[in-house]
Amino acid sequence: MAALWRGRHRWKRTNCLHVLTRNLTGKYDYDLVVIGGGSGGLACSKEAAQLGQKVAVLDHVEPSVKGTKWGLGGTCVNVGCIPKKLMHQAALLGTAVKDAKKFGWQISEPICHDWSTMADAVQNHVRSLNWGHRVQLQDKKVKYLNIKGSLLDEHTVKGLTKAGKETILTAKNIVIATGGRPKYPTNIPGAMEHGITNVALECAGFLTGIGLDTTVMVRSIALRGFDQQMAGLVTDYMEAYGTKFAWQCVPKRVDKLSSGVLQVTWMDNNTGNEHKDTYDSVLWAVGRAPETKALGLDKLGVQLDKETGKIVVGADESTSVPNIYAFGDIGEGRPELTPTAIKAGKLLARRLARHSAELMNYDSVPTTVFTPLEYGCVGLSEEEAEKRLGKDGIEVYHAFYKPLEFTVAERDASQCYLKVICERDGDQKILGLHFTGPNAGEVTQGFALAFQCGATYSHLLQTVGIHPTCAEELTKVNITKRSGLDATVTGC
Amino acid sequence: MTQQWLSLDPPIPHTHTHTHTHGCSFLVMAILAQLSRTSRSACWFRHRKQLFSSFRRHALIRRSMASDPAATDTTRFDFLVIGGGSGGLAGARRASELGAATAVIESHKLGGTCVNVGCVPKKVMWNAAVHAEYLHDHNDYGFDVGNVRFSWETLKAKRDAYIGHLNRIYRSNLDKAKIQTIQGHARFTSDPEPTVEVNGKKYTAPHILIATGGQPSVLCDDEVPGASLGITSDGFFELETLPKRSVIVGAGYIAVEMAGILSTLGSKTSLVIRQTTVLRNFDSLISTNCTKEMQNSGVDLWKNSQVKSVRKTDKGLEVTIATKDPEKKNEEEKIRTIQEVDCLLWAIGRQPNSSGLNIGEMIVDTDEKGHIVVDEFQNTSRAGIYAVGDVCGKALLTPVAIAAGRKLAHRLFEGKKDSKLDYSTIPTVVFSHPPIGTVGLTEDEAIKARGKENVKIYKTSFTPMYHAITSRKSQCIMKLVCVGKEEKVVGLHMQGLGCDEMLQGFTVAIKMGATKADFDKTIAIHPTSSEEFVTMR
Repeated sequence: MAALWRGRHRWKRTNCLHVLTRNLTGKYDYDLVVIGGGSGGLACSKEAAQLGQKVAVLDHVEPSVKGTKWGLGGTCVNVGCIPKKLMHQAALLGTAVKDAKKFGWQISEPICHDWSTMADAVQNHVRSLNWGHRVQLQDKKVKYLNIKGSLLDEHTVKGLTKAGKETILTAKNIVIATGGRPKYPTNIPGAMEHGITNVALECAGFLTGIGLDTTVMVRSIALRGFDQQMAGLVTDYMEAYGTKFAWQCVPKRVDKLSSGVLQVTWMDNNTGNEHKDTYDSVLWAVGRAPETKALGLDKLGVQLDKETGKIVVGADESTSVPNIYAFGDIGEGRPELTPTAIKAGKLLARRLARHSAELMNYDSVPTTVFTPLEYGCVGLSEEEAEKRLGKDGIEVYHAFYKPLEFTVAERDASQCYLKVICERDGDQKILGLHFTGPNAGEVTQGFALAFQCGATYSHLLQTVGIHPTCAEELTKVNITKRSGLDATVTGC
Repeated sequence: MTQQWLSLDPPIPHTHTHTHTHGCSFLVMAILAQLSRTSRSACWFRHRKQLFSSFRRHALIRRSMASDPAATDTTRFDFLVIGGGSGGLAGARRASELGAATAVIESHKLGGTCVNVGCVPKKVMWNAAVHAEYLHDHNDYGFDVGNVRFSWETLKAKRDAYIGHLNRIYRSNLDKAKIQTIQGHARFTSDPEPTVEVNGKKYTAPHILIATGGQPSVLCDDEVPGASLGITSDGFFELETLPKRSVIVGAGYIAVEMAGILSTLGSKTSLVIRQTTVLRNFDSLISTNCTKEMQNSGVDLWKNSQVKSVRKTDKGLEVTIATKDPEKKNEEEKIRTIQEVDCLLWAIGRQPNSSGLNIGEMIVDTDEKGHIVVDEFQNTSRAGIYAVGDVCGKALLTPVAIAAGRKLAHRLFEGKKDSKLDYSTIPTVVFSHPPIGTVGLTEDEAIKARGKENVKIYKTSFTPMYHAITSRKSQCIMKLVCVGKEEKVVGLHMQGLGCDEMLQGFTVAIKMGATKADFDKTIAIHPTSSEEFVTMR
C-alpha cells in the first residue's frame, strides 16, 4: 500500500519528461509491450514509462480448474504472498490467544474461528490492491489491456479479448513476465477433480493455526533447496504445533464418497503398505509450472528448458530471440520470488530505455518462509557451502535461543535456532545466514543488507546487540559446530 | 484478587484514515548528549592517566619491597568485580574463562537492573500489553474470543517466577565458572593498594572493576511536596495490582514505555511532560510520531506541565500540576489536579550507584552527577580500577555494558592491548506501542556535523500489512539519514510493528559503512515492513 501512494508522488516529478520523449519511436505502436501484469510485469512497465517509453501491459487470468479468477497484480497479490501472509497473521493470532492466557488474560473457551470473516477481509484487501495497481498504471501512463497476449514475431503481439476480438500490437521490445501457476499431479486419478493447489508448509501451518485438522503428505523431503537442518526445525515445530505429517508417502488416488468427503489412498514407502483416510479438502502443492503454452513461443524459436518448460534467459533477461526478453517466475533458474521479479523488471526497463547497464544480481537473495515458526535466510545452505568449500573450509557458528516472548508463555523453543556459515580462513566472510523464530522476515532483511555489503563474522560480533530481542542473538553467536559444545544460549 | 475488565472497544480509538494512527509507546536512547560530554572528558583524561601511571609504578615497587602484614587478612583475586549486573557478570565470566581468579560482589540480586527491574521484566509487561492489542484485532481476523479480562496478579506471579529462574541461572553460571560470589556492599578502604571491604572482610586484586550500575532518580519532598508518595520504575515492578489511575512524570524512554504498558493494559494513564513532545533526544520524526501515537492510543498527555505537589487522600493520591505554555507569555500558569491516582510514577532520569563506594578515597574521578569518568578503554583515573556500564553514564544499555566488560577482560587477561568497545553506532529500541528502533545520527545531528547541503533524507510511512484487515490501525514510519556524495547511511530511525526485531541487521550494515546504494542493491523480503528500507526512493 505504501508503495502505491509513494509511487503516485514520484510520477508527478517525471511526468513532464515523459510527454516530451514519448511517441518518438514512430515505427512501432509501442516502445515496449509487457505480457503479464504480475509483480514483475507491472514494475517493468511502470519503470519504462517513467523513463519516457511508450508502454502497454497485457494481463489475462486463465481461470483455475475450480473456476477461480482474479484481478491485476499476478500471483503475489491475488494468490500468493499477500493473502498467504494475512492468513499466516491469522494463525499467529490463534497462537497468541493461547499465549495471552499465560500473560494473565482470562478468555472463555472455546475460541472459534470463522473462515468467511477472515476470507472476506482478505479478499477485500486484495481487491483494493487490484484497484491500486490499475490506478498506478493510469497515473504512470502505462496502457493496460485486459487481453490474452501471444507472439507473432519479435515485434508483434496478438491480443485476444474474452469476447474473442483480436488486436495487433507492435513494439520495439517485448517482455514476457507471465509467471507460473501451481501444478496438478496429472497421474493421480481424482486429483484435478477434487483438489486445490498452493504452497505446502505455509498453508498447512496457517490451517493448523486457525484450528483445522491438517495433514501434510511428503514424498521425500520438505523445503527442497533450503538448508535441510533448518527445514527439519520448521517441520519439527509444525508437528509440535499440531500439523500431522505423513513422511515418505505417495498419494495413489482421490475419490469423492457419497457423503461428500474425499477419500485419499496412498502408499507408505516406509512400510510398503497402502492406506486410506478421508478429508474435507485436498490441496496439491507439488510445484509450479510456467505459463508459456499460449504464448506461441515455439513458432518464434524462443528456447525453452526441456524439463521445466521455462524460458532460457541470459544475465540480461534476453531470450534466444532478439528483442524478446523474459524474467520472473517464467525465467529458467530464476528464484520464484516477488522482490526479485520487481527488481529484475525495473533493471530491465532501465536497460531497454538505455538509462543504465546494470544487471540484476541473483546472488544473495534473502527469503523468508512464513511457516508457524518463521524461517529467514540469505546466502548458501550449509550443504551447499560444504559442497563448494569442503567441510574443513567452513566454520558454522550456531545457537539455540529462547525468545523472551516464549518464556512466560511456556512455549517450547527447541526449534528457535540460528546459524551463520562462514569461510574458515581469513576474515571469516559470511556465506550463509539462517534464522528460525518469531518475526524472521523482519529480522533477516537488515542482515541481508549486511551480507550484500560483504559482512564477516567479526562484523556481527562488533555490533552491539539490542536487548531483549531475538535478532540480537545473531550478534552474540559464538559456539562453532566443530567444537561440539552445547549451543544453548543461557542468560542475557 | 482484583481483575480488570477489558471491553473490546474503549482504550483504542478507531480512526478511519491512514494519516491517523493508534498507538502507544516506546524505547530507549538518551545517549547522544551524554556521548559528547564524555568524549570531551576522555581526552582530558588521557593526560592525567599518564601522570598517574608513572606515579603508580613507583608505588608498586615500594609496596613489593615492604612486607605488609595487613595483606594476610586480605583475600586476593586477579580480578574483583563490584556489581553483579549485566556488565559485571559478563566481564567476570570472560576473565574467568581467560584464567583469572575472579570474584563478584553483589549487594542485591544477581542480574542487576536488566534482569530484575529493567529490560527483562519490562519486555514481559510489554508482551502482555501487545496481547491486549491483539485481542482487539482477533475479531477482524475471524476469531470469536468473546469477553476477556486481565489478571495482573497472574502475570506478576509468572514474571517473578521467571526472574527468579534467571537469578538462579546467573548464580549457577558463576559457580560453574568458579567465580566466587560475595554478598554485600563493597566500600573502598584507605589501604595503599586498592582494596574493598564487604561485611568486615577485605578483598583486593590488581584489577578492580566497578560495575554498580544506576537507579532511578527521585525528587525529595523539599523539591516537590509529597514527591515520595510516588514510585519509580523499580516500584512499578512491585505493583501487586493494575492501577486504575496512573500518572507518569517524564518524557524519556522509560516514561514512554511505562505509560504505554499501563495504558494498554487498561489503566487510565496521564503522562506529564515539561515540554510538548516525548523522546526529545530522538530524531524529530520519532519524537513527533511517538507523541502522536501515545495520544491516539488513549494516553492523556499533559504538555508544558510540572507536578507541583502530591497529597494523600483516602481515595488515593491527589496530584497537582502546573501548566504554562512558554509561547503564550501573557497567559497565567494553570493549576489543575488529578484525583484518585493510585500510581504516581517518576521517570525523570537515572543516577549512578557510586556514592556508597567511597571512591573519593581512591582518587577515582567522577563528574558532577557522580558518574565515574573513564577513558575509551574503561580506565578510571586510578590505575588498576576500571568501570563499565550505567555507572559511567554513557549509553545506558545492557549490551553496551556486557560488551565493554568482555572487551576489558580480553585486554587485561589476554593481553589484547587494543580491546575496547566502539561506542559509535549503538542501536536502541524503545518498547513503545508500536516499538521504535533507532541507530546513529538524527537528522539534526547530521546537519550540524556535515552541513545541510551534505545531508540527504529518505522517508516513508505506510500502514503495515498486518493492519490491512484490522479496524485498529498504526502507522510505520521510517527515515534514513545519509551524508556526502556517496550517501553513506549515518542514521536510521523507525517506529512501527516489528521495528524492534528489524533494527539489528541494519545496524551491522551501517556499522560496516553501508551507503544508500547498498540498501538499493539488497533484495527485498516480501511481504515484510523491513523491505521498505531497501525499496525507498
